[in-house]
Amino acid sequence: MIDALQAIGSVFLDPYLIFLIFITTIIGVVIGVLPGLGATTGAALLLPFTLTMEPVNAIAVLATIYVSATFAGSITAILINTPGTAAAAATTFDGYPLAKRGEAGRALGIAVVASTIGGVFSVIVLCFAAPMLARVAYEFRPPEYFALTLFGLSMLATISSGGTVKNLLGGVFGVWLATIGAEPTTGIERFMFGNYELYEGLAFVPVFIGLFAMSELLVQSRHVNLAYETVVMKAVKLPSREDYKRIWKTVARSCGIGTFIGILPAEGATVASMIGYAEARRWSKKKDEFGKGSIEGIAGAEAANNAATGGAMVPTMVLGIPGSGTTAVILVGLMVHGLRPGPYLFTEQVDKVYQIFGAMMLANLMFLAMGLYAAKLFARISLVPLQVLWPVVFALAAIGAYALNSSLLDVWIVLIFGVIGFLARRHGFAVAPIAVGLILGEMVETNLQNSLKMFDGQWWLMFTQPLALLFFVFAFLGLFSPAIVKWFARRDA
Amino acid sequence: MPQLAIPAIITAFAAAVTWSSLQLELSPPMIVGHSMQPRVFPIFLMVICIVLAGILAWQYRSEPPEKVKLEGLRTWGSIALFVVFYLLTTYVDMLIATAVVVFLMCLLWGERRIYVAGLVGLVTPTVIFFLFDTVLRVRFPRGLLTNWYYG
Repeated sequence: MIDALQAIGSVFLDPYLIFLIFITTIIGVVIGVLPGLGATTGAALLLPFTLTMEPVNAIAVLATIYVSATFAGSITAILINTPGTAAAAATTFDGYPLAKRGEAGRALGIAVVASTIGGVFSVIVLCFAAPMLARVAYEFRPPEYFALTLFGLSMLATISSGGTVKNLLGGVFGVWLATIGAEPTTGIERFMFGNYELYEGLAFVPVFIGLFAMSELLVQSRHVNLAYETVVMKAVKLPSREDYKRIWKTVARSCGIGTFIGILPAEGATVASMIGYAEARRWSKKKDEFGKGSIEGIAGAEAANNAATGGAMVPTMVLGIPGSGTTAVILVGLMVHGLRPGPYLFTEQVDKVYQIFGAMMLANLMFLAMGLYAAKLFARISLVPLQVLWPVVFALAAIGAYALNSSLLDVWIVLIFGVIGFLARRHGFAVAPIAVGLILGEMVETNLQNSLKMFDGQWWLMFTQPLALLFFVFAFLGLFSPAIVKWFARRDA
Repeated sequence: MPQLAIPAIITAFAAAVTWSSLQLELSPPMIVGHSMQPRVFPIFLMVICIVLAGILAWQYRSEPPEKVKLEGLRTWGSIALFVVFYLLTTYVDMLIATAVVVFLMCLLWGERRIYVAGLVGLVTPTVIFFLFDTVLRVRFPRGLLTNWYYG
């Protein structure tokens, strides 16, 4: 424990890392306030820039982008009724009405404070939960890992965007993408069509840049002429004692909800904020204020979405299963920098792990300061003309993809997956399941093969392993939970 | 039945992948052991795909999806610019390709001031190039400009 505290404390005493997190927080907030550019796209675009950095610094950069962009979405949600990120969508419900009543500063103050508390709480939980989960994960063998990855994939059924069947189709497509290249055991080439650059499989980063950044570019091309109505704000106001009295229970509840939702594989800040908001309304004594500028609504959504960031890092680092779209990018970042996610990360490179946690903690405090003192300035950035912003994103994405492996094939992959992602989104499919499927694909196949070898081909013996069976049950519940919830809702109605 | 187009496309894709999987070599039994042949897993995935496409078709029949609006010039133009980028990068130079595409994209997306589009087209690739070249030591593919720069 003392080692962990030392490692976390070292981040706060490292001037270079503090400066790096400061700069990255600014970049993250800018990314968060720019419509369309969320934490996932931002992290994917910045990944190539971290190549020459030390592993801890690189992951700190990506994690900082994650927490600061997740918070920053609330700035535009409150001031121009347009969530900068999907996770801030619930903040618009009450943030904008409150701002229109002339209390934009108060709304932003509550959002900043609730976000910081949510973020810091989740990092504390991360510090305790991750090593505990890692201890359990040491016992995992191929059947347990196979069942766990199935559980991760089954949770795609429950994510908010898309729909159950469409999300599962996206996940299966992602897993299939992972089969491109040489098969790990036999070396037999699959779906390479003579292109030997694909021998080791599709590189994750270009696929992610394509799916998230390029497809968003094409989506945004339809919204160029949208006009935003901006609310004027003098300065951000810290919540008053009365405000704190009203929101503390909501914030505490949303911290728990957000962290728990974040820990679930494939669930992220967007789901967390929606549930946080709904629960804030359910428990509120002033339900009629919701939708008209309730401070509990803002606090409930904001504490939950930032609490999900720390929670989502738990399965990412301990099990190698991304907790959200952005943590999928961070997971790739860990691999690129030689930090293989999994329980052994907590014995072999434990100091680095805690330094990353410390960096997340610092990032949460950093955006508190920025949110309080520079939110007004950041809100202006959101008015950057899209016809200038997105061509620049195109250049960053194309050249950034090339820089990773000095391969033009990666650039073509970005363009192809940009179009695939756009077409998918056009027809109501979310792209995050494809990314999660791609990451989990190799784990699913390899662990299934190893399990079959372990049991001499008698696959049903996997169900005799208690932990594996537990995850199979979770996977089954995850898969059918939307139908179960719908059935209960219909019965109650 | 336009609403069945998406499930039909998914099924056709799954069928094509299954056919392609069936063309894969078989590995000797001593290597595979009690595990699966490399073709089995993709086929298994495609079977799931076809089942899910069937459920999607059934859902679409009972609740037809909203009609998707046809994209305008900006979206299709941007996709066409991707192709222009590919051709220019392959046959001319990656940096020139980036500059041209950024410039044209600015104009296509509604930037009326040509000098602004020109400035963005010129400054963006230059800054990104020097950033990657000097800080990250990335060597860009050979082309008109890079040949001159690298010598």
